[in-house]
Amino acid sequence: MMTIFLEQILNGISTGAVYAIVAVGMTMIFGVLRAINFAHGEYYMLGTFGGWFVISTIGLPYPAAVIVGVVVTMAIAYVIGRFVMQRMIGMPEEGSVVATLGIALILQNTVILVFGGGYKFFSAGYIEPVFFGDIGIAQQRLLIIALCIAVFVGLELLVTYSRMGKAMRAVSQNVEACAVVGIDVRTVVLSTFVLGTGLAAFSGILTAPVNVSVYGGMGEIITFKTLPIIVMGGLGNVRGTLVAAMILGIAESFVAGNFGLQYRDSVGFVTLILMLLWRPHGLFSARARF
Amino acid sequence: MTVKTERAILRAGTLALFSVLALPNLVKAQDIVVGLVSPNSGANARYGAFAQRGAAMAAEEINVGGGIDGRMIKIIPADSICTPVEGVSATQRLISQDEVDFIIGDICSSVTLAMQPLVEDAGKLLVNAASSNPEITYKAGVGGYQHSFRNYPTDEIRAKAVAEYAVEKGYSKFAVLSVDSDYGRGAITYTRKYLDELGAEFVSEDYYKEGEVDFRSVLTKIRNSEADSIMVYGLADTTPIIARQMIETGLAGKLPLLGNGEFSAEATIQAAPKAMEGAIEAAAWLPGYDSEGSMAFVADYKAKYDGEEPNNHAYGHWETMHMLAEAVDAADSTDAEAVIAALQGIQFASPMGTITFDDHHQAIRPLLMLEIREGEPVITGSVAGEVTYSEQ
Repeated sequence: MMTIFLEQILNGISTGAVYAIVAVGMTMIFGVLRAINFAHGEYYMLGTFGGWFVISTIGLPYPAAVIVGVVVTMAIAYVIGRFVMQRMIGMPEEGSVVATLGIALILQNTVILVFGGGYKFFSAGYIEPVFFGDIGIAQQRLLIIALCIAVFVGLELLVTYSRMGKAMRAVSQNVEACAVVGIDVRTVVLSTFVLGTGLAAFSGILTAPVNVSVYGGMGEIITFKTLPIIVMGGLGNVRGTLVAAMILGIAESFVAGNFGLQYRDSVGFVTLILMLLWRPHGLFSARARF
Repeated sequence: MTVKTERAILRAGTLALFSVLALPNLVKAQDIVVGLVSPNSGANARYGAFAQRGAAMAAEEINVGGGIDGRMIKIIPADSICTPVEGVSATQRLISQDEVDFIIGDICSSVTLAMQPLVEDAGKLLVNAASSNPEITYKAGVGGYQHSFRNYPTDEIRAKAVAEYAVEKGYSKFAVLSVDSDYGRGAITYTRKYLDELGAEFVSEDYYKEGEVDFRSVLTKIRNSEADSIMVYGLADTTPIIARQMIETGLAGKLPLLGNGEFSAEATIQAAPKAMEGAIEAAAWLPGYDSEGSMAFVADYKAKYDGEEPNNHAYGHWETMHMLAEAVDAADSTDAEAVIAALQGIQFASPMGTITFDDHHQAIRPLLMLEIREGEPVITGSVAGEVTYSEQ
């Protein structure tokens, strides 16, 4: 009984790690822009496609494909950031909702037009399982958990010590004051956006070996899984996002294991509704930051 | 150039572009127009691509041979994305804008069920080539919809055949892991009808949504249950994901997969050979089927589409297009009523044997049983396809 319990927790953590890397990018972008990036899942998809493309066409090894996927996505995000996201500064929320939903549609359908709508098969990665007693887990999933921790340590260091990180925090607190003291808000927004989408792409390629299939619409579900996490974590809160992602991952795992797979996705949506009703500012802060 | 003139040019350009796009499809009056509804985007797009290619190949063969009394077949594709809402509006467009003579579609049962009343009201003819939910023909022919036909085996037969076969092989405790749709749930509902009779049971029941990628939790549960096999009526693209995660959770080689979900596809077996070994599937057709017509189809298809191996939906739509053409030829008209009468009486010589329709407009055709042995699909038998309609 204990082993089953532990295994379900492990399943939850491995799912939560994926959510966490995607969600932290989305929450950082919200922090500086006050805008929910509804196209976030599409960058996850772009990264995966980038990785899949170089592996299947020129046979690049997996680690190199990870880098290519992230870099390509960041380049696309730079262009979108430059022409769309920077204009969102100081815009009413409706503007960013429509703009990011539009970008999501464009990215998704461009990929479908270029590569076709069918599922692609992602064959690279480290899918051999390792067994701890009865509990088996793919090496890739252990890698994801380890890299998730690394990403969060890195982000923590970035926002605490680096100049850019401090600027990001400043912009997320008060845009006008930043402008007064000479922080280039536009640059901060652009770099946060490129970093956040790069993380989404990173998560996508990391998960591809265990998820096997790659297709144009794969990002949608990720965007919707990410929403309850960033609300639970407190919008713009990096540490909170990690905890919230793990909570959602583990809760989903228990629901799928005990009630049925068909109820799993309701966990996120029920959480979102409850959070918005009772603690719209997140689990970890007593009052709203924004 | 001032901003104003720039805008004016842009506006005029956009207008011109849209007016070109809005021009009706140029259809010659004597063409026979067939609307083909299938999921061309979304999670089931791969199925849709097979359907379109199979049907296009049949149409080309017919047209090269001089068409039907000199009239050419023209296919208008429509995208259902495998959702009833999209499928209905795609069908509506085919009927009212493209003014098609016949409609072939959809692959997804949920969409086909939604299309039936629409086609009935419009007085057109719907021939389905790929949906397996039993309701579709329970409600057709003497069951109600005169304008619906199905040239594909129903899950009532498949459910029974798979369960019987599994019990014969010594499996009786099934863990259900099917797709959450009319197809996945329908197959399980019809399996349940035969459980008592066969002395088998469902140990657990889980349904996954389209696009699901994380099966670890549910597979962990199944491993710790008493199940001796996993019953999957699922999507072809999801089978490799389940199979790979079975290896991960230590289920591969212990619990075989039973049901349907392209277990026999080369890519699926390659993705996780250990998990697919011993899998039992009932399929309408598969590329390895040993008949002259079927082998010729596979060879022609591969030659036409860059060596791609056809799946059963490519075959089904190819065969159905030929069958429809024969019915139109026999009716000597594109009038729906005349073609319906022709289909009711048709004795279509297909590569799978002669196909006829029962009074529910359900094709009487065989279903193949196959098993994966040493990484290769082996046909172990076939099941006759006549349905006994029970009271509902």
